Amino acid sequence: MHGGTVAQGRAGVANVDAPSTTAPRRIGDGAFAVVLTLPGFALLIAVVLYPLVSALVTAFFEQSLVVPGREFVGLENLRAVLEDDFWQIFRQTFVFTLGSTLIPFVVGFGLALALNTGLRGQRFFRGIFLVPWLVPGVVVSFLWMWIFNANYGVANGLLEGLGIIDEPHAWLAEPGTAMAAVIIAKTWASFPWMMVMLLAGLQTVPPELHEAAEMDGAGTIRRFFSVTLPHLKGIVGLVLLLEFIWNFQHFDIIYVLTGGGPAGTTQTFATSVYETAFRGFDLGRAGALGLLWMVILLLLVVVYVRFSERGEER
Amino acid sequence: MSTVTSTRPADSVTTDPAPANRRRRRSPRARRGPRVSAWVAVVVFGAFALLPVYWLLATSLSPQDQVFSYPPSIFPSDITFEHYADLADNPDLFRYLVNSVVVSVVTAVLSVLVSAYMGYSFSKFRYRGRRSLMYLVLSSQMFPQALLLVTLYAVFSAYGLLNSYAALILSFTTFTLPLCVWMLKGFFDTIPDELIESARVDGASRLRIIHSIVMPLSAPGLVAAGLFAFVRGWNDFIFALTLAGPDKQTLPPGLVNTYVGEAQTAWPQLMAASLVVSLPVVIGFIVLQRYLVGGLTAGAVKG
Amino acid sequence: MSTTYSRRRLLQLMGLGAGAVGFGGLAACAPSADGNDTSGGSSSTPTSGGAAQDFGFASWSLSEEAPKPVIEGLISSFEGDAGISISPVTYPYNEYLNQLTLQVRGGQFSGAAQVDVAWLGALAALGKLTDLGSFADGRGYTDAALQAGQYDGTQFGLPWTIGAIGLVTNTELMQQAGITAAPTTIEDFEATLRALKGLGDNIIPYAASTKVAQLKDILIWMQTFGSPLVEDGTVTIGDEASIEAVAWYKKLYDEGLIAPDVDRFDARALFSQGRAAIYDDAIVGKSAVVGESPDPDFASKLDPISRPVVQSGDDPRALFWGHAIVVVDGDGSGTAAEFAQWLTSDEATTVGFFEDLGLPPTTQAALDSGAVTGDAFTAAFSERVTATATVNPFWQYPQYAQMESAVAEQVQAVLVGSSSPADAMAAAGEAVQALI
Repeated sequence: MHGGTVAQGRAGVANVDAPSTTAPRRIGDGAFAVVLTLPGFALLIAVVLYPLVSALVTAFFEQSLVVPGREFVGLENLRAVLEDDFWQIFRQTFVFTLGSTLIPFVVGFGLALALNTGLRGQRFFRGIFLVPWLVPGVVVSFLWMWIFNANYGVANGLLEGLGIIDEPHAWLAEPGTAMAAVIIAKTWASFPWMMVMLLAGLQTVPPELHEAAEMDGAGTIRRFFSVTLPHLKGIVGLVLLLEFIWNFQHFDIIYVLTGGGPAGTTQTFATSVYETAFRGFDLGRAGALGLLWMVILLLLVVVYVRFSERGEER
Repeated sequence: MSTVTSTRPADSVTTDPAPANRRRRRSPRARRGPRVSAWVAVVVFGAFALLPVYWLLATSLSPQDQVFSYPPSIFPSDITFEHYADLADNPDLFRYLVNSVVVSVVTAVLSVLVSAYMGYSFSKFRYRGRRSLMYLVLSSQMFPQALLLVTLYAVFSAYGLLNSYAALILSFTTFTLPLCVWMLKGFFDTIPDELIESARVDGASRLRIIHSIVMPLSAPGLVAAGLFAFVRGWNDFIFALTLAGPDKQTLPPGLVNTYVGEAQTAWPQLMAASLVVSLPVVIGFIVLQRYLVGGLTAGAVKG
Repeated sequence: MSTTYSRRRLLQLMGLGAGAVGFGGLAACAPSADGNDTSGGSSSTPTSGGAAQDFGFASWSLSEEAPKPVIEGLISSFEGDAGISISPVTYPYNEYLNQLTLQVRGGQFSGAAQVDVAWLGALAALGKLTDLGSFADGRGYTDAALQAGQYDGTQFGLPWTIGAIGLVTNTELMQQAGITAAPTTIEDFEATLRALKGLGDNIIPYAASTKVAQLKDILIWMQTFGSPLVEDGTVTIGDEASIEAVAWYKKLYDEGLIAPDVDRFDARALFSQGRAAIYDDAIVGKSAVVGESPDPDFASKLDPISRPVVQSGDDPRALFWGHAIVVVDGDGSGTAAEFAQWLTSDEATTVGFFEDLGLPPTTQAALDSGAVTGDAFTAAFSERVTATATVNPFWQYPQYAQMESAVAEQVQAVLVGSSSPADAMAAAGEAVQALI
């Protein structure tokens, strides 16, 4: 999917006008190529595919984690899930996923651009900014829970001290702010890796291009859009795509911070599946949620592939 | 997909273009405007990045009876190291740290190896269904992992792999495959086919080509991919909790287990422990970060 | 408040608790299976026939700072006496039930396991728990405690510590607000909260649970207002009393008499700082609260009170709380059962456990000991709270946790203003009924 756009990456830069060779290369036989992928696929089948299929099958059964045995119920679980708060969860999942993909992207990109200007102490900052990424995941959750706490959190203390708010807010307990708080915490944990990826991408932009554009009278902003951004298309696409996928199934931070509350306003598919299976012990219903989740994602993938193929043809 | 045949000499692949880049930027013509906005960005985002770390530190230094005061004292007046001293009484923490390091390192190595084979196959061979397979690998990241737990538990149980490092390492390796495969494929794309062809002509076996030509050439990319895989293993909570068993428990569940109890959360102790156990990894990454950025720059970021 | 209670009175009260449990609706109080191979009296070595075997012991307390060394000590003393080894298994409290369930389900665990009495239904449904009836006989457990370990008439758990969740007050703040007598009716209680609110903005009069994880605390208030919750298999949430209870909670919330974003941990933290005057807790919370408080004399300011009632003269409501030990069938389960029996009923062991951790024992002999009867807080708690404790009627269903969270979510919707009490309770009642 990125290949097409990415191909113009470095190799392309060496000689911008060089025609791409699209003829298939054959350095070895197909059998060897397939053998190389086997260890990876073996893992994927054992650890993802098989458990996934067996979990999705439970969507059609009444099955509990604690009561042995199961009973076929057809589409009953799916119906129950759809009639319940499915669409609310669907919406919230997208809000969370988009928010925690785009905001860390902006922060990470901003930092990458800043560090790429050859700032004094660039290396030092680059190292320091990695710290949030390396604090063990659950600690990130607890740290933000601690910061946002309504009754003794430092967020309230700081904002009140600065006169920004008049009274303490229950950031994690008010429907209006809970999702934002969760996204902030997630942003904190994931901007560093985006920064690293984008910084690496920025360093592949040949300075000649900037100089040429500057000579043509392009300002900083114009050069960003006409030189930097097109050059980074591949890496930007990859970073956004991966982050989107990860956030779609992100669990830890939401689970610890709000547990899906208040009043279900931060519940996403991932937390909902976990709650249903491990708190409610209802494997059938968790399977049904998972099945619907997959259908949605498959639709997204189809749209994405179509879209990226069209881009490639152009 | 990437179909550009690179004709650049192989040695340039591993050259970090950053120094050249930076030198140019520091030319006298360096503009003041961007420099100022760069500093503004670093300070603003830097505050966002570092204030929570500061608060982690401040909390870990507060006496137990002051951590819940409000308004919180931004600069703790009484500093105590007792929570750090307490860590020494908890030998389990060290065990969790060792487990975490073992699991994350082995995950990183295994993941790089498996992904390198797969990425090489996707990069240098053309066969039917290749593209679909690549998407399949990528989409395996999208599934609800919480849903996998119940069956995965049974699978590992059946093979007697529960309560061992193996269950965790195999799971994490699988979860990091998509990112690593895509990163490494991008990297391999920049290795000229001619190089591989000529090695074949010289009589090198196909596996030997991978191990002694392709992989060394891609070393920075392998390190970068490995570091990402490391972090995945380092951060996971729910799989580690479920699959590792008491002896092989890693830090995230270990920390929760130790400090988040039935009756209270031991905030300052939790913070102190988190800082101490993160320290070696942070230092390691600061040392290795030039590979991280350099390795990515040299090709891996091409996706 | 340091009134001392006569031992006789105390025992009477514990007996009262027993009656209340049956009323609560757990299990039909079936007699325990007749004992055949158990020993009377207290002995610290395995007594049934056959060689002792190794087994696992699952306990969340094993990873917590305070109880850890105490329980490790008990384990090694049993190991030494029986000449076996016990492998500890531990998970964080919040994840404990589902992790234990996975282990038991997958046949990965056999031995003894600490459980919250609320979980018996869920674990028993797995069909792998040992009937401990014969181990319970003749050990002097109180009836109330024994019943807490029963599910569907079978003694699946041996009670380790039994108490209740009740209201705990900070006497210093109460006095500052000019409150001399504990409020007995809801009306008094509200007036008390308003008086406490007058102490300053920073004071949360009642740190009631408002986070979804602990909002199940509201069930006891629904019962206080007169809703039975479940009656003959029919869920009564949605009735007048439950709506009234939620509307009342909402009123306290809106007036700032209870605070948002509070769970049990937060409540303890706030209470320990003198920022909350009243909160809900079991006896187990006392040590946490005292430890976190900057006030070295804080322990003497804790005073449990009976939950207020609608009509004065009604029995105050309290929710049963406790830990039991169950035994999961498999290798070493016989020895594990003896361990459970020794841990929960050996007099020296249980009295020592109380002295170390303040957790009330479950046998008459231990309750009669000077250590227990001499503890003013425990005595007051027993008289005012535990005496009228009942189990939560949801506990008889394996999916009780889901029921509680269905209610909690609806209550939270009311608190944040996205639903009305009547609509929310109707929805909650329906959701819970669907789970039965």
